[in-house]
Amino acid sequence: MFLSVKGLSKSFGELDVLKTINITIDEGNIITIIGPSGSGKTTLLRCLNALEIPDEGVLAFHDGFEIAFGNKLKKKKLMELSRKAGMVFQSYNLFPHKTALQNVTEGPLIVQNRNKNEVLELAESLLHKVGLADKMNLYPHQLSGGQQQRVGIARALAIEPELMLFDEPTSALDPELVGDVLKVIKDLAKEGWTMVIVTHELKFAEQVSDSIIFMDQGQIIEQGPPSQVLKHPKHERTSQFIQRVVNP
Amino acid sequence: MEHWQRSLKSGLVKMFLNNIVFAVTGDMTGWELFKNSLLPMIQGGIKYTIPLTLISFAIGIVIALLTALMRLAKTKILTVPARVYVSAIRGTPLLVQLFIIFFGLGSIGLTIDPFPSAIIAFSLNVGAYGSEIIRASIASIPKGQWEAAQTIGMSYSQSLRRIILPQATRVSIPPLSNTFISLVKDTSLASLILVTELFRKAQEIAARTYDFMLLYVEAAILYWVICFVLSIIQDQIENRLNRYVAR
Ligand SMILES: Nc1ncnc2c1ncn2[C@@H]1O[C@H](COP(=O)(O)OP(=O)(O)OP(=O)(O)O)[C@@H](O)[C@H]1O
Ligand SMILES: [Mg+2]
Repeated sequence: MFLSVKGLSKSFGELDVLKTINITIDEGNIITIIGPSGSGKTTLLRCLNALEIPDEGVLAFHDGFEIAFGNKLKKKKLMELSRKAGMVFQSYNLFPHKTALQNVTEGPLIVQNRNKNEVLELAESLLHKVGLADKMNLYPHQLSGGQQQRVGIARALAIEPELMLFDEPTSALDPELVGDVLKVIKDLAKEGWTMVIVTHELKFAEQVSDSIIFMDQGQIIEQGPPSQVLKHPKHERTSQFIQRVVNP
Repeated sequence: MEHWQRSLKSGLVKMFLNNIVFAVTGDMTGWELFKNSLLPMIQGGIKYTIPLTLISFAIGIVIALLTALMRLAKTKILTVPARVYVSAIRGTPLLVQLFIIFFGLGSIGLTIDPFPSAIIAFSLNVGAYGSEIIRASIASIPKGQWEAAQTIGMSYSQSLRRIILPQATRVSIPPLSNTFISLVKDTSLASLILVTELFRKAQEIAARTYDFMLLYVEAAILYWVICFVLSIIQDQIENRLNRYVAR
């Protein structure tokens, strides 16, 4: 077991967005989350990274790090949680005043205070890995959406997280740019990264996932290997959703 | 040449000619008076107007940044004093503030010299208006920038310093330049608390020669020149800061 999520709940005012979510993630596993808009996928992902503070629930990591929500938490503890996971946003959120390279070096250099040459080497190799070796010194506005998203992935990897989170990493992209980004994620899968991915790309989900979670209205309706959830869903709601995504 | 450059040039030439024409009636020709009073006015400018502007603006920006950060804080202990300060400064005339600090405090035994009085009044003024500009420009940076900074492990102050403020600076340069240029002109109010700055010099000479039109227009031209130079510098700063923004 790499991470166990127990009884996670979150509401915004009257709206219960997450209702007692339980998930177990094994080391090197790739979990994809699918589900209709507003079902709480983004919120769940953000709770794993302290971008959102759940009302209740426990996150327990393989190394003994445990965080129980409900009471007031120390800032330091939340920062430790957010450092465990690298996050890739739907809208990239690159730093527009920094070059691709500076976006990637910012974390290790400023936050982790690592040696400058070492960090440069790391950043260059990460940008190389995501296929942007020749774009390092460009600013985000000089890059295509797909390139920006790949910088976003390199930036998240640079803090050397234990877990990678992706929130619809390709849904803001033109169709012809989606492939490059998905390829980078597939490469990470081969390297054995533990990842949680929210996506609407069912074909991609089928290829990379160890397990697919279908969420609706703040609850996990169904979870299992792609062959089961996508091909032989047990629940009516799951098959309806898959139908709708495949034939919109 | 751009349109405004052309109109500025022709405006200057016209004003200059007019001065010569209407002032030739005195002991001195208008042109001589213009030339002779130029030096004292420029001295007043260099000794008082410009230092007053630069020092007040520098202190004012520091106050503005602190006030903006207080207003963005989550506790009332910080937000309330900041709001009261901004509201009081914005809700009262600058001249009245200047008089309270110089004449008012002086009358209750807290005498402050004219120049420092003016510095205090103008700094507080820039602090209040500037804080609103800085606060708005920080608020204009998308929430995703804070979040991205947080996910790479940055603390609040690191996010602010490295990610948010550099972007907010770009947004706030044009409105802050306006504040700065207004300040140059507002320093003429210091003449009323006896600071011998540019306009006070014009008043003194005019009181002797009765050439009000010529001297006040001359003062106006000098302010205009200063502001014109400043707006060129502003353009250059903006161009530099805009290099990472898509056009
Ligand atoms: N900060 C917030 N304040 C109030 N309501 C929120 C907030 N964030 C999310 N919500 C609400 O919570 C619900 C779940 O949102 P969430 O973004 O997690 O859905 P999602 O499954 O990611 O949807 P999508 O597929 O459209 O991205 C929605 O009804 C949304 O309006
Ligand atoms: Mg979402």
